[in-house]
Parts: sequence; C-alpha cells; structure tokens
Amino acid sequence: MTEINSSKSTIQKSKQKNSQSGSQLNHSTDWFTRMVKFSPKFLLLLLIVPVFGGLIGVLLPAFGWAPALSQYDLGLQGFNALWQTSGFGRMIGLSIATGLLSTLLAFVVTLMILGAFFNSVWLDRIQQVLSPILVIPHAAAAIAVGFLIAPSGMISRLFSPWLSGWELAPNGMFPHDPYGISIILGLTLKELPFLLLMALGALAQPELGKKLRQQHKVALNLGYCPMTAFYKVVLPSLYPLLRLPLLAVLAYASSSVEMPLILGPNTPPTLAVAIMHWFNDVDLNLRIKASAGALIQLALTGGLLALWLLGEKLVKCLFCESLTNGKREYAGSYWQKVTGAITILVISFIGLALLGLVLWSIAGFWRFPSALPDSFTLLHWQSAVMQMGEPLVNTLVIGIITTLIAISLTLLCLESEQIKGKLLSRFTSLIIYIPLLVPSIAFLFGLVWIQQLIAVQVSFISYINVVIAHLLFVLPYVFLSLASSYRQLDSRFAIVAASLGTKPCKVFLKVKLPQLIAPILIAAALGLAISFGQYLPTLLAGGGRITTITTEAITLANGASRRTSAVYALMQMLLPLIGFILAWVLPKFIYKVAHR
Amino acid sequence: MQSSLHIKNLQLFRQNELLLSLNEQVNGGEILTLMGPSGSGKSSLLNWLTGALPSGFHANGEVWLNDTNITFTPAHQRHVGVLYQDALLFSHLSVAGNIAFAMPPGNKKQRLDKIEASLAQVGLKGLADRHPDNLSGGQQARVALLRVLLSEPKAILLDEPFSKLDSQLREDTRELVFEQIRYHQLPAIMVTHDHSDAEAADGKIITLSKLS
Repeated sequence: MTEINSSKSTIQKSKQKNSQSGSQLNHSTDWFTRMVKFSPKFLLLLLIVPVFGGLIGVLLPAFGWAPALSQYDLGLQGFNALWQTSGFGRMIGLSIATGLLSTLLAFVVTLMILGAFFNSVWLDRIQQVLSPILVIPHAAAAIAVGFLIAPSGMISRLFSPWLSGWELAPNGMFPHDPYGISIILGLTLKELPFLLLMALGALAQPELGKKLRQQHKVALNLGYCPMTAFYKVVLPSLYPLLRLPLLAVLAYASSSVEMPLILGPNTPPTLAVAIMHWFNDVDLNLRIKASAGALIQLALTGGLLALWLLGEKLVKCLFCESLTNGKREYAGSYWQKVTGAITILVISFIGLALLGLVLWSIAGFWRFPSALPDSFTLLHWQSAVMQMGEPLVNTLVIGIITTLIAISLTLLCLESEQIKGKLLSRFTSLIIYIPLLVPSIAFLFGLVWIQQLIAVQVSFISYINVVIAHLLFVLPYVFLSLASSYRQLDSRFAIVAASLGTKPCKVFLKVKLPQLIAPILIAAALGLAISFGQYLPTLLAGGGRITTITTEAITLANGASRRTSAVYALMQMLLPLIGFILAWVLPKFIYKVAHR
Repeated sequence: MQSSLHIKNLQLFRQNELLLSLNEQVNGGEILTLMGPSGSGKSSLLNWLTGALPSGFHANGEVWLNDTNITFTPAHQRHVGVLYQDALLFSHLSVAGNIAFAMPPGNKKQRLDKIEASLAQVGLKGLADRHPDNLSGGQQARVALLRVLLSEPKAILLDEPFSKLDSQLREDTRELVFEQIRYHQLPAIMVTHDHSDAEAADGKIITLSKLS
C-alpha cells in the first residue's frame, strides 16, 4: 500500500512540472487539482500520438516513401507486389472468414447461454467456471487448443483405439488446417468467456440490471417463455452495451497474429501473419510490401466493423416487427436443451485442453493411444525454469511499470470527472478504446518505422518503447474495469472530508483510494494479465531484443518439444492467475488488519 | 362459469421460519386485500403465486386457478397478470408496442385497432406511438394496466400498485383499475400499505402480522 502510494506520488510530482507550465494563470487551485484536470489531455496524447503516428508511419512507406530504406519514389509498387503474391486472395479470405465466423459464433453462443440461463443460478455457475479463462493469454489458449485437436491430441487419445481403431497417431489436418477451422475454434473459445463476462458485467450494473430483471419478470407474467422473454425484452436494452466489446473482438479476431501463428495454416497464412513475416524478412525491401499489406489489413478490419454495424441495422429491421407480434414461444425448451449441451461441450473442451497442457508439461514417455502418460517427470519444468530467468524478469518489469502508469492515469482521469462534475467527453472515451478497434499490426509497424528513423538503438529505449506499446492495450481495459466503481463512489465522503478542511490530494489519496482498494487491485491484476499476454507489441516495439514469457512461448510453440511448450503456456497462465488471486486475497487481508 | 383463484392450505417459510399461513378463495371481480408490515411475507406470497419464489423460501400448499392446479406450473404458463408499483414499461418499445407485446398473436390490423380503442378508453387517445419514458406517471400506470388486461390474464395480482402516485392521481387510477377488474370479472389479490386502497377495494381485508 505505502509502496503504491509513494511511487504514485513520484509520478505525480514529475507530472506536476508539466502541468504547471501549461496553466500558470490559474492560481486559485492547488497543484493537485491542476494535474488532475490536465490528466485527460495527457491520456489523449499518450494514445493518439502512437496510434495515429503509427498509422502515418505505415501509410507513407506503403506508397513507397521510406527514408529508412533510402526510397523516396512515391508509387504503388508495394501494392503491386501484394497483388503478385501468390495466395494473396486466400490470405484475405482466411482473415475475413476466421475473424467474422469466430466473432459471430462466440456472440451467438453467448446469447444462447444468456437467454437460456438468465435469472437462474446456472448463469452464476457458468460465470464462475468461465471467468478464469479470461486471464489465459491468447497464445497459451492457442497452444492448449492445438494440443487438444492435434492428431495425437487429447481428443483423439480419448477415442482411440476403442472407437477409432487408431493404434498409431493418424494423419490429421488439425491444427494448421487450410480452412482456418482451428483458428476459428481457438478464437471462439477464447472470446466466448470475454463476451459473456462483458454482458454479465453490464447486467451487474445496479440500476440497469434491476430494471431488466424486473422487465424479464413482467414478460414471464405476460406468458412469455423465459428464452423468448430474454430476446424480446432484455437483449434490445443490453445490446448497446455489448457493441463495443463485440467490435473489439471482431477487430482483434480479424487482425491478430497469436492464434493464427500457432493454429493457422502456413500456405498461405492469414494476412496479419503474412505481413508480420514480410516485415521480419531479411530482405528489407519486403517492408514496402508489408506496409501496403498493413493498409489492406486496416481496410479489411474497418470493412468488417462496418459490415457488423450494417448487419446490426439489418437484424433490427427484420426483427422489429416480431418483437410485438405477441408470439411467446419459439421451441424454448428445445433450445434450452441445445444450449445446455453446447455449454457442457464448451466447458469440457476447455477443461480437456487445460488438462492436456498440464499432462504434457509433466509427461515422461507417452505412447499414442494412452490417455495418460506412462511416466511423470518434473524435468521439463526444471530445465524450462532455468532458462526462464530473463524473459520472466522482462515480463514482470514491463507488466508492473505499464500497469502502474495505467492505473495512476486512469484514476487521475476519473478524478478529473468528479472535479469537473461531468463525464469525460465522448471524444476522449472513444479514443481510449481506439487501440482495441484499430488492428495493432497496422500502427505498430508504423511505430517501428518511426523508431528506426529517430531512436538510438539502446536497449533502455526499447524498454520504454515496449512499455508505451503495452500501455495502448492495458489502458483501455484498466479504464473499463475501474470506471464504474469510481463513478459509483458515494461523493458525500469526499464532501465531508473537504468540509473538514482536507486538501484535494489528501481526499484523493486518503479517502477515495482506500475505498477503492479492491477494484484497483482487480484492475491492476487485469492490467498485468493484458501486459503479460502481449506478443506483437513486445516483439515490434522491442525490436525483437526483448524476450518475455509470451514471445518465448510463441517461438517455442511451432518448433520445440510439446513438453517445453506446455510449460511455457502454463507459465503464461500462472502469472496472471497469481495476480488475480493476490487481488482477491489482499483486500480481505487489509480489511482484517484495519479492523483489528 | 365463475372464475376463481383458490389458495389451499398455504404455509410459506423463509429458511425454516413460518412466515404466513393462508387458506382463501377469491372469486371473479373480487379483490382480496393483504396488509401488514414489511417482512410479513406479502411480497413473497405474490412471488409464490406468480411462480417466482426466490431461493431461501419454500412453501407448502396449492394454488388453483379456475379449477386447475397451477402450483407447479412455470411462471410463464400461469396466466396470472401482475401490476407492480413501477409501471416497468419496456423502454425499447413504443406505447403501442408495449401493449402489442402483451396481446396474443393474431391479425396485425385487428390488434392495432384494439390497442387504439383501449387507449382511447382510458383517456390516452393518440399516444400510441409515443415513447413510454415521455409519459407522466399516471399515463404510464394506465399503459401498464392495459398491458396486463390485454394479455387476457385469468387472475390479477396488485403489488402496491398505486404507492408511487400522488393522491388525486392515485384515486383516479385506483378507480380505473378496480373498475376494469370488476368488468373483466377477474379474481384479484392486492398487497398494500394504504388503508384507503383497502377500503376502495371493498373486499375482504387480511392483516398479516410479523411473526418473529
């Protein structure tokens, strides 16, 4: 606690100088208030400069202007190279199909689960089972799913040889299947818990949640079957709150590299993966093509987002009539059973994938059809942990610094809302989520171009770059997680404290923050988890010189032994898990001490 | 046939503590009033009647609606309408949409005509396309009443339905609701804190005491 406070106050002091030079006219307020009022602008700067700078940094090379390569002829050579790439159309098709289908699938299953179990104890139980999945980084999830569906994976072992007759591992197409089915599976399983928890989070808002539960009850009294009541009454009010998470999922799914790298085909890969390969190629001239590709990726993701919004309008048009047609039952009990079956399938799939991962990490010799290893050993853990030192320290240092900055900045911005007496402007709230909606591969490459133009290649600088890149992705989630608790804080405490003559910074530090210790710790755990899981930002902003557990896990996933890979994937899950357990336990401990 | 709501030998428990026991029959057009302090189990009784008794409560006994045992019928198949103290209108639908939502499916034109006619009947002519949030409290209460009535319930429960309305409005709305209940010959049970509500209902009054 004291540690957090002291580090926070040093950050505040350093920012104090900036803000003083900006607003010297206002002598009536103290430095803290001025700093707080300045914080939203600083937040905007921190997000806009890298994202839009990155986009410009990729736009110019895409049209041939690349000082780093001493190329100054504007033209379409990058795009021409793209059209001539064999399989370019398939890459685009694969990106669109995997992005759209996985998002759609995750959304539909989320709606089925919500509809079938709304207002029942089962929803809480499903939430408890699925919420830990949220902390699993995409890469680790991909490795686990890959192990599960591989020809010699857990599923095939469970059905062999008694059902399949396989005595040897068959030749299968999973993972890396050319149609992207493995990617869709991996993304769906990962995004489903996210969407579900976002929806449950929205329903947990006291006023909205109560209103929707009562309206659902009214619909039941009017004779509506529970599932129909959910779709006709709850969903229309709930959907607007799900739109942003959905768009973020769609943007991520259509442009991410972690899942397609581990589960996707190579000939050709998805567009995002191809761009990454071109960028990392020894032939620097491929970078012009990669930049052009990044622009296409931008258009592709933008197009998909527009398509989704269009689909929304279409669905609204089509179903508007049926909302009030009085029909109360659409085979609800049948759909309830189907949903139950799908839920069980999803949970057992995830459970099996995790079990497989644990087993591989401690497996000695493991013949094919046996469901369990013949012998167990801790050798893989020992040898992996021995080599893990540097990546582990990097992961933790970058994660902690990023999270501290993100939490401090978020708290200051939320405090500025209360001081000014109004919410952040719509523009600011939109910008906070921009990094989640713009394909990271597009602006991150632009950042690399810019870094190479201006930065001295010192490892210290790479760390700062990585922290800034991580911040882009950590900030939105930390903000999302803290905002509602901060805004719900009873403002009378602050007024009472102020009336007793407490200075604004003391009210903030001694009155507000202690009340928010639990949500702050949860947000910190979330921030750490997001930072731990970042692959592309670490790789690109760090110039490939900074290794973390995640970058190592992905490098190992496609080559080295399954056992080492399993250890790294488990480490990836373990770190955020520890964070969340601490966030859960510490407040109880702190209160206990305080109440002694 | 006279419609009726019959509560047979009900014993309602919270955890294992007996909250209330009741054995009553309400005939069509009659309004049974339940009064009593908070915590006496009034709302739990209504929840049990609608089939939504929360966990932590349990009940012995049966409820019969027009000679059908509906004790174990799911909430949405009971045909028991409820009016709450909040109008609870759906904010994603218009006034007409809210009422249409409650009506049985059928010919679109006929349904719309029926909505218009019933709105006019309660003095809300021409408000069909308005958004419910833009109506006054009394108007919202009347839309909620129409919504329940046009869903063609077989019994109606009133959960302190007038407590959020101020006094003149309260009397008018109450009169309208009771008039409609008698007109449709529905058995009704009302839970209230207000003695004037109980008197106006002109039926049997049961005062529950808090058991401790």
